[in-house]
Amino acid sequence: MKYLGLVFANLRRSKLRSAMTGAAIMLAVLLVCLLLTMPAGLDALLDNLASNTRISVHNKAGIVYSMPQSFVRKVRQVDGVAAAAAITWFGGAYEEAGRVTFPNFAVEVEHVGAVYPDYPISAEHLADFKRYRDGALVGRQIMRKYRWKIGDRVTLRSTVWPVNLDVRIVGEIADDHSPYLWMSTEYVDQALKAQGREGLGIANVVWARASDPSRVNAIMRAVDELSRNSEAETACETEKSFFSNMFGSLQSFVTIILIVTALVSLCIVFIAANTASMAVRERAGEIAVLKAIGFGRRVIFATLLAETLLLSALAGGAGVLLAVALTRALRMFSGWSEALGPLAVFIITGPVIVQGIVLSLCVGMLAGVVPAYGAARKSVAETLHEIF
Amino acid sequence: MQMRVAEPIIAIHHVSRRYVRGVDEVHALEDVSLSIPQGHFAGFMGPSGSGKSTLLNLVSGIDRPTSGEVIVAGQRLNDLSEDELAHWRARHVGLIFQFFNLIPVLSSRDNVALPLLLTHLSKAERLRRAEVALGIVDLGHRLHHLPRTLSGGEQQRVAIARAIVTDPDLIVADEPTGDLDARNAEAILSLLRQLKQDFGKTVVMVTHDPRALRYVDDAYHLDKGLLLEGEDAERARAALLVAAGHGAAPTGAAAGVRAQP
Amino acid sequence: MPLPLSYSLRNLQARPGRSVMTACIIALVVVACALLLGLISSLKQTFVRSGNPMNLVVMRKGSDNDGASQLAVQAFQAIRFFDGIARDAADQPLVSPELVVQPFFRTRGGGRENVLVRGVEPVALAVHEQVRITQGRMFTPSAHEAVVGRAVLGRYAGAELGNELEFGRGRWKVVGILEAGGASFESEVWVDVRELANDAKRPYPYSGIRLRVATPADFEPLQRRIGDDPRYALEALRETDYYAKQAKSANALYVLVVGIAVLAGIGAGFGASNTMYAAVQARTAEIGTLRALGFSRGAILSAFEIEAVALSLVGFLLGAVAALALSRLLEWWLGSLAFGASTFTTNVITLHLSSADLAGACGLALTIGIGGGLGPAWRAARLRPIEALRKA
Repeated sequence: MKYLGLVFANLRRSKLRSAMTGAAIMLAVLLVCLLLTMPAGLDALLDNLASNTRISVHNKAGIVYSMPQSFVRKVRQVDGVAAAAAITWFGGAYEEAGRVTFPNFAVEVEHVGAVYPDYPISAEHLADFKRYRDGALVGRQIMRKYRWKIGDRVTLRSTVWPVNLDVRIVGEIADDHSPYLWMSTEYVDQALKAQGREGLGIANVVWARASDPSRVNAIMRAVDELSRNSEAETACETEKSFFSNMFGSLQSFVTIILIVTALVSLCIVFIAANTASMAVRERAGEIAVLKAIGFGRRVIFATLLAETLLLSALAGGAGVLLAVALTRALRMFSGWSEALGPLAVFIITGPVIVQGIVLSLCVGMLAGVVPAYGAARKSVAETLHEIF
Repeated sequence: MQMRVAEPIIAIHHVSRRYVRGVDEVHALEDVSLSIPQGHFAGFMGPSGSGKSTLLNLVSGIDRPTSGEVIVAGQRLNDLSEDELAHWRARHVGLIFQFFNLIPVLSSRDNVALPLLLTHLSKAERLRRAEVALGIVDLGHRLHHLPRTLSGGEQQRVAIARAIVTDPDLIVADEPTGDLDARNAEAILSLLRQLKQDFGKTVVMVTHDPRALRYVDDAYHLDKGLLLEGEDAERARAALLVAAGHGAAPTGAAAGVRAQP
Repeated sequence: MPLPLSYSLRNLQARPGRSVMTACIIALVVVACALLLGLISSLKQTFVRSGNPMNLVVMRKGSDNDGASQLAVQAFQAIRFFDGIARDAADQPLVSPELVVQPFFRTRGGGRENVLVRGVEPVALAVHEQVRITQGRMFTPSAHEAVVGRAVLGRYAGAELGNELEFGRGRWKVVGILEAGGASFESEVWVDVRELANDAKRPYPYSGIRLRVATPADFEPLQRRIGDDPRYALEALRETDYYAKQAKSANALYVLVVGIAVLAGIGAGFGASNTMYAAVQARTAEIGTLRALGFSRGAILSAFEIEAVALSLVGFLLGAVAALALSRLLEWWLGSLAFGASTFTTNVITLHLSSADLAGACGLALTIGIGGGLGPAWRAARLRPIEALRKA
């Protein structure tokens, strides 16, 4: 601790160099944090929004292969099912976006609350959702992306059904990562019938909640049994498995992101190591004098390493803070135009912050250890010889 | 009846130092033996390459001999490991160099207090002792100056203050006047002599500066790794004086020859 | 009078360790940038190659991809005989009715993805000119057979020639492999349209129509006629435009590229700058000598900038080689990459770094070098000879 003054003084030695190295580390850590939001976001979705009691019931052939809406009644009667709600892909494009930019579904309003009791939806919002046929519940990620407020009216042009629907936002799914919009099945059904068509008779997924995790397997078997040999044979899976599979196709992308993150991290290590080795080389004489006076190898090693570590920790910490601030700002700007839309997906969560800090410390260690060790190891006489 | 002479503070027995540089083996020192009494101001003199700096390094525990033994203040340095030597130096030796003495980013006071970081003294105590040491070298008014704002002579005085702040038995100076002009050089030499006289410190100095002959108690002349004695030493000393330009007689005792100013 | 090139280059050689380390800093940014650019261009390539400039895509109004659309048989019957449509040798109109469904497929790695299955009639091969059956043969209608795209064969389990591939509600015998020069059709499975409609229990047998126009002049009248028809709410889009729209989803990735170029690029620039500043510091006396000898400030500035540029070029070369190696490694390790351009479809692509991608990365490297070297070069140029020599 008493050496801290010396370490700080050494960092102040070449202010320009310390500043530039610090800035480089800060910017790179910022970038890494932004990059990591994607895998972290997927993990968060898996952790926050997937429960161990929910089961997805869908056509074995694929989600696009639907099931009759009426099937949900059979599911409700299965032993152990506490609640079940049929969900149909609406595929609505928000006018301003021009194409489908978030998942939106028609859901059974009377039952969906019971299937998702863990979702942060206030009782009041849920009640309004049931009360107003044209109501919609929207996940916070989308609310922020388009800067919608409760009470706003939003037009969605379905890309799969021949209807355009005007919905009123009556409530929010208060999770930062929730990207959903739910509207009422009745409302869609009505709109279709008004055109002289058959109503919304199909569901893409029936979500069921088991009364207890231990009943999940039995329920899945029972439901699949119910649908066997029918025209829509089902394959049940847990919600976690469902999300995993869905994210599976994003895996390539995540891998590339992680590779790029690794490259950038390595880059920071090199930048910091470059600075550290230059500093050590330039100060060889001074270090020799310190050793001569009686500072042992361990102290020399520690103070040199501390220098790199301190710079790295401070700069990296600043980078993480900047990432948090920047993503907040980006969320504001992303609402301005479609092209900037993607900017809203950067949400810095706890794990990302921790990863950023750990990265900064590791960078400091890796970058500083070799120059510090090399300088400490050299014998005094050897160094003095080279200098004098 | 004469009192038994005190143990010499430095005793060097048949010390050689050889090392490999590229493909050659350099014989920096060859079979050197000497002893320096406590409280003496000794000078190691000679041309460049004579081995005087190597000898100094051995005496101060910065280097180890290839053969022979070095005993300083009762401690046989050969017995100590690298880290133990560092620890020993911190407590027993004060060092002054020709270049790179001071840490450029620390004030004079912090530079002087540097060796005290190796002790368990409180921060307040460390700074107090540093101020005292700076007072002794007459730089009490330059506590907070950075080295680059001090003259060459002042920087060396700060280095001397740092050398004495731990109250070591031995003060070792490697070419302390090498980089200074005449006036400052004389001031430094005088200060070193003062340390011996007023504080009883043993001072060992490497120099090729003939002026030093006027300040040291004993002058050891080296050439090509060998310690010169007798006539060879005389010749070396005379040569130095001639080189100084005035061949003036020294005021201090040197190699047993006294002369009038 | 400028300083010779060898001055700059020799100085880089003089401190090899530092030069290599700085080059590596730049190289790493180059690799990251090249990789992402390659990803985007590989993705876009599949779409660019998919659009036939003489084809029209007819879908229900408001659908953004043919998987979401539905189209009545009557509509197809009517459109078939519109003017302006090309005809084949037997004077049959080149109009291909198609049904797009996305069932689950198992990947070789055990994952589950939506694959685009296109129900077609044999005329589809004529309308989609670039699609060719390279192994086996086209499926026989009503025989529950399938031809699979080359990329499907590579990524999904059980798609080999002669196998019974399980998807949808049945098993389909793989009788042929189709290739399309890298177009998105290679990520598709083609089957008999009626059988697919039956399998997927679609009330409408078709989701859309692809047709060939006779001459370019026929585009507009045909588009208008189809779009204005009051009986059916349809729209007709040029196939190239259709796929261009799909390609837009890759644009979101450009945000990442920009982020890397700016943030990592500036960081690397600072790293290079540090090295160059240290070099200027160490060579202060030398610069003073050069100035005293008569070399102008401009000459000194250029010499140092050239050094920085040379460093960045070395960095680019290292990075380019590493990026190419890395893309090969990824191909070997991951196989193909899957991207969902639109909801419910997976586009299988192989990561390929084009020369344009490398050129982009090179541009970044040069910018880093020039930008990073500017400060130090400026400082070197501004050194006054007397001061510089005094510092020695």
